[in-house]
Amino acid sequence: MRVARIAFALPGLAALAYGALLAVRFVTHSFTDGRSALAYLIGGPVLHDALVAPVVGLVGLLICRWVGPHWRAPVRIGVAVSAVLALIAVPGIWRTDAGQHNPGLDDRNYAVGLVIALVVVWVGVGAGGWLRRHPPRPRAKRVSSSTPAARPGSP
Amino acid sequence: MKLRLTLPDNIKKINTTIAARIPEEKYFRSAVHHRSVTSRVGLWLGIAFTVCFVTGLLSHFIQHPTSWFFWPSRPVNLYRVTQGTHVISGIAAIPLLFAKLWTVYPKLFSRPLVKSPVHAIERGSILLLSAAAFFELVTGLFNIFQNYPWPFYFPTIHYAIAWVAIGSILVHVAVKLPVIRLGLGEKPTIRPAEVGVSRRGFLRTTWVVSGAAVLATAGSTVPLLRGVSVLATRSGGGSQNLPVNRTAAHAGVVAAASDPNWRLEFRGPGGAVHRFSLDDLRAMPQTTADLPIACVEGWSVSATWSGVAVADLLRRVGATPGTAVVVHSMERNSIYATSTLPGEHTRDPLTLLALRLNGADIDLDHGYPCRIIAPSRPGVLQTKWVGGMAVVE
Repeated sequence: MRVARIAFALPGLAALAYGALLAVRFVTHSFTDGRSALAYLIGGPVLHDALVAPVVGLVGLLICRWVGPHWRAPVRIGVAVSAVLALIAVPGIWRTDAGQHNPGLDDRNYAVGLVIALVVVWVGVGAGGWLRRHPPRPRAKRVSSSTPAARPGSP
Repeated sequence: MKLRLTLPDNIKKINTTIAARIPEEKYFRSAVHHRSVTSRVGLWLGIAFTVCFVTGLLSHFIQHPTSWFFWPSRPVNLYRVTQGTHVISGIAAIPLLFAKLWTVYPKLFSRPLVKSPVHAIERGSILLLSAAAFFELVTGLFNIFQNYPWPFYFPTIHYAIAWVAIGSILVHVAVKLPVIRLGLGEKPTIRPAEVGVSRRGFLRTTWVVSGAAVLATAGSTVPLLRGVSVLATRSGGGSQNLPVNRTAAHAGVVAAASDPNWRLEFRGPGGAVHRFSLDDLRAMPQTTADLPIACVEGWSVSATWSGVAVADLLRRVGATPGTAVVVHSMERNSIYATSTLPGEHTRDPLTLLALRLNGADIDLDHGYPCRIIAPSRPGVLQTKWVGGMAVVE
């Protein structure tokens, strides 16, 4: 264990030091760029911890409270997939800072694409929930022959 | 912290006191906040980040070669596969990062904030890890959409923070190794937990979301998924069925590239200059090859290219294939206006000065009158609108 921990820690510290050196060079090269990059760096955990995670908790709580037991798993997966796809679509839809137009690149209609994806996801959620509520009945014959409890003499 | 809000007198009937508190660690009763879940999601997040780091590093060294680095020209799809993997693993890591952080979110509220100097370093390193991970995923995602809501130059800082991210992951694994071993040794329970989702349910949700994110985007590089991936950066459009990463108009080369008096100036051994007209190049033996054009931004597409093998051109000017060649574009104001073809690539008979693409003359936007297309190279080094070449002596 000790050797393994050292084997992870040493290259890790070396990589950290090299990354820090590169980052310091970047900041000293242009203070404006450095300040902006630093804001992006700190922005991630701050936005996540103060906004994203509480919303995740709240939505999870609402699903537990309001959604019936058969529907909980499909709805939970549906909400999570929808949220992540929507986040991934942001740089495709919100393009005020996009560079020059390059034919064949980033030129899909991402808003329509996202809507199509969400429709597919929620049709899947509907199908999943319905199947859980109305599970297909197992064929009686097979069940009786393969279930040990149904055999005479079994405990 | 306790915040007391007393309602104004006119609605005093309700006479309510609202207490807003910062939650405590013990309030999070969900079963998913457990090492058996954290270590599993963390394992896959660590794998995704490692794959992303290594593939990104490869592209970095191909573009900034050092004396000890060697990149082969075969298999022709090698660069394409590594960079497709780079972006796919990055996309897969987005839901994994959210899931991982949710499993450990209660620890954010553990008190006392700092127990000892070692504890302070540990908390600080986790903040650094989380910051670096988010930075890489967010800037990488915006970059594949060629969308830059920041003033800084993306590749330099994405590269620097990649080292910080992988370094802090390794240190984090070293610190948590005993807990990780315990967690991976425990089976996540199937039975629904007392509060909320079961551990196994949470893990399944995480895998499904990661898979969905990959499916929605991987069509940029996986041909079969092009119709499925509604969020892929490559649309399938572009001239001659190929995406254009910089148009001739944007590069400011329309006039120079369309000039009928265009000549390729090839500086051979000893500085001797050889000039080739387009007809001269067309009269030379032509090589046709199916080669991918692939970008570090994760998109790639295969096409049929024809033209003069660079090895043939080298022989024509009295040099040996295997000599490195500098290629100059007619484009001026771009950091990619010049590229160097290593000897490994000039030796390869499939490295072409391409004149034709998918059965027609190359479009102006794809580099007319001629461009470099070499197997297993980054798209930005497949120099377009070639005006000059020179052997490296």
